[in-house]
Amino acid sequence: MRRSAPILATATALVLLASSAWAAQDIEALPEEARLVPEEAFTTRTLPPPAPSWIYVLDVAFDNLVASRVNIFDVLSGDFLGVLHSGYVPNVLPAPDRREVYVVETYWTHGTRGRREDLVTVFDARTLEVLAEIPLPRGRALIVSKQPVAQLSDDGRFLLSFNLSPATSVSLVDVQRRAYVGEIEAPGCSLVYPTGARSFSMLCPDGSLVDVAFAEDGSARVADNEPFFDAENDPVFEHAARDPDARLWYFISYDGTLYEVGYDENGRTALRESWSVVSAEDAAEGWRPGGWQLLARDPRSGRLYLLMHKGPKWSHKWPGEEVWVLDPAANRRIARLPLEEPAVSLLVTAGEEPLLAALSDTGLLTILDPASGEVQRRIEGAGVTPFLLDAFAP
Amino acid sequence: MFDRVVERLTRRVAQKSSRRSFLARLGTALAGGALLPLLPVDRSGRLKRAHAQAFAEQAQTQDDTACNYWRYCAMDGYLCTCCNGAVNACPPGSEPSPTSWVGSCINPDDGQTYLIAYRDCCGKGVCGRCPCLSTEGEMPVYRPQLSNDIDWCFGARSMVYHCTTAGLVGRA
Repeated sequence: MRRSAPILATATALVLLASSAWAAQDIEALPEEARLVPEEAFTTRTLPPPAPSWIYVLDVAFDNLVASRVNIFDVLSGDFLGVLHSGYVPNVLPAPDRREVYVVETYWTHGTRGRREDLVTVFDARTLEVLAEIPLPRGRALIVSKQPVAQLSDDGRFLLSFNLSPATSVSLVDVQRRAYVGEIEAPGCSLVYPTGARSFSMLCPDGSLVDVAFAEDGSARVADNEPFFDAENDPVFEHAARDPDARLWYFISYDGTLYEVGYDENGRTALRESWSVVSAEDAAEGWRPGGWQLLARDPRSGRLYLLMHKGPKWSHKWPGEEVWVLDPAANRRIARLPLEEPAVSLLVTAGEEPLLAALSDTGLLTILDPASGEVQRRIEGAGVTPFLLDAFAP
Repeated sequence: MFDRVVERLTRRVAQKSSRRSFLARLGTALAGGALLPLLPVDRSGRLKRAHAQAFAEQAQTQDDTACNYWRYCAMDGYLCTCCNGAVNACPPGSEPSPTSWVGSCINPDDGQTYLIAYRDCCGKGVCGRCPCLSTEGEMPVYRPQLSNDIDWCFGARSMVYHCTTAGLVGRA
């Protein structure tokens, strides 16, 4: 063994030299002693077919925003599955067919300097290799990552990426053809809430939605609506939950009013109803919604899960001490689930065994039974400064 | 002595509230500066007055590296004063965003209200020192001029956010 040490060292040095070369080198070009053949088989792993229990935890890496990452966990087993490295304040979009994951991101060619590049990176969901990079010629909104900054059309073919320059518009990307299609103008209105395969809505400063219907060539019709909430005094959070079967978006306001906004097959929206999830007694105790991705829907039961804390007005970014379970069909709260550690973001997985995931800003991912609130497992180190949870749609 | 007690109390409150939510601290990091002319400036409102007054109750005029320095009533971001910049200067190697976001802050020494221009320094990675956040009056992204989650380096040569300054405009 001692005799082989110098050979090993030489081999390592040669391999390092080879890998630092500009272009990949043919293995045959390496000296013979550098081509070590281990006795045991050696491979790169591939993930199994993606499951609804996979969660993509976006860590924006706040101390070094240009180098964010996406940690992937199976919350059913608690296993760490892999990582995607990503750029400045990205968005992560698992494709509905579970074959690909799209990351909408921004880089500068020399790290924090150089030429800015905005793109959609297409990852293979099982190999985690990059399949394509689609440039976004009109850039993208640079906002601390929030889900409605980029969304997919219901059929998964088009990616809709919000632009803020600070004029507002949406870039349309055909992920199937791997091509940027064009830009849809929506002056003054922001974010993306899909309402079908070829339609979405955006929130406007006056508390209204604009409804956008688009065609494959990027042409679009934009229709205005009356305000449905008081944007001046009690705005709705950006993060909302959706019931695609009932054609409904749920928006929650700073003071705890839940707005149920329906839409038709053409993507035209209308407020169906609104109710306060905070009773007079709750309000007297100071209970408010708060956090980041603070509202989630269980696709099986239809129940909503909302992060709540006790705090003064304008404490809307404080983490939730409890999860309130709401039955939107009956307009009532059905349970309060206290959390061991306050959480900033929530997600309910799809599939046969739905699980409630609660993310703390210290990187603890707590997995609970959505019915009982019982803790199933704790995943430590889900991120250093994690913000968002994404998963495959049902 | 009384002052010191008050200061200590204030600091404890500030520390507690910032520890309370890492997210809340972070939310400010990209905050900041620029308010472009095409966006409506929200100067109206009891919201801002109430905010300025609540902030002024615990504000001080001596230490501009503390989150409760009087000019920071609408501050969202890493303080450039902690990054070898100043309330009116960007740290070495960074560039001021050409436009700024205006807030109204009360100076507790004279009780007067002053206009403060918050301006981001851009073109370098995050400074990461002295994160300060006030979410009072903070609005979602669809009201961009009041949202602290947006990178406001618009108009600078680079959108990479470094820190935020707070320059004095004049009496409000």
